[in-house]
Amino acid sequence: MPYAHPEVLVSTEWVAEHLNDKDLRIVEANEDILLYDTGHIRNAVKIDWTNDLQDSRTRDYISERYFADLMSEKGIANDTKVVFYGDQNNWWACYAFWAFRLYGHAHCFIMDGGRKKWVDEGRELTKDKIRTIPTNYHVDKLQEEKVRAFRDEVLHHMHKRKPMVDVRSPQEFSGEMLHMPDYPQEGALRAGHIPGAKNVPWSTAVNNDGTFRSSGDLRQIYEVELGLHRDQEVITYCRIGERSSHTWFVLTYLLGFENVRNYDGSWTEWGNLVRAPIE
Amino acid sequence: MSLSEELSRFNMLDDRDFKLELLLDFAGKLPPVPQHLMDADDRSNHKVHECLTPVSLWTELQDGKVYIHADVPRESPTVRGFISLLIKGLSGATPQEVADGPTNPLHDSGLAPILGMNRQQGLAAIYQRIRREVAALTI
Repeated sequence: MPYAHPEVLVSTEWVAEHLNDKDLRIVEANEDILLYDTGHIRNAVKIDWTNDLQDSRTRDYISERYFADLMSEKGIANDTKVVFYGDQNNWWACYAFWAFRLYGHAHCFIMDGGRKKWVDEGRELTKDKIRTIPTNYHVDKLQEEKVRAFRDEVLHHMHKRKPMVDVRSPQEFSGEMLHMPDYPQEGALRAGHIPGAKNVPWSTAVNNDGTFRSSGDLRQIYEVELGLHRDQEVITYCRIGERSSHTWFVLTYLLGFENVRNYDGSWTEWGNLVRAPIE
Repeated sequence: MSLSEELSRFNMLDDRDFKLELLLDFAGKLPPVPQHLMDADDRSNHKVHECLTPVSLWTELQDGKVYIHADVPRESPTVRGFISLLIKGLSGATPQEVADGPTNPLHDSGLAPILGMNRQQGLAAIYQRIRREVAALTI
């Protein structure tokens, strides 16, 4: 059984064959800001979550104008096909994909298996910098209401007992730990989860090599075991919304769920919010 | 150069990209860990649990001077670069000099705003770990 939107996932082989295509832009999005500079897929540009996508004053994404400027700088036009890949099982690639969808970028893709698969297959990495030609990008309409959930919406969703998926580790979910194993304290003052949320760690959706599991496996996990239906309104969250964008991608594009939103405030917001209910 | 001086030198580079280039340069210069340490049975005791990246750290005292070794995967150049910078600034110092050293290297180097909160916490934890281990060497 195929994925709901199989065209959104491209293989390393496909990327190798198409990396010189004029209507394509490959974007590397990593947790490590320097990894791209140690070598990247030929013609790929770097987009860094902290420096490129985040507003420096308020906790939010950059304005439409800055996004348009960023796209122009990276040589991305409105109709450019953007293929994301990165380290850490494509967490940050999915996060960048999700962020691009906030601004309504039409053609977004993920390279299955990410950077690690490319490297493991012995494919070429280069330090060559690509020279991009500025484009005339314009953001027509912010699409964030389709893919992004804010705090008050989450509270309302919770009161209506609508489905929420907490994609953190079981220990973070239960409140035993305030941070990922091996990760430093994140600064949330309380531990636990949003009442009613179910725990399906993001990694459940991937194989050992970082590729996404089959459609059948994913259906088993999210529809059979968790009991979600694709016409339900679902909210995903984690700590800052990066892992949950991975699950958002799985539900939306691989399983065809029509109404999934990522709560990017996630636990760093909820776990610090005065009087927010916690389980 | 002491660690303070290394950090000031970093900070003097106005351009964000120059700072990152220098950090990458440091990443490439992280000295290899002496084989006898890598082979030792207690290898797992040296893992830095505070960091997402699998980092192992060793601190030694020789003739009253501190020497630090670290094993960091090549896929984490930011962590490699930062630790390499710390090692360059701290190696050969006395434990007292390490204790009297800077408390916030990410801030002093000007790297904090470039790296963002997410990355800063793991790196700060590594520095604190080094300081704690050095302090323990003198007990």
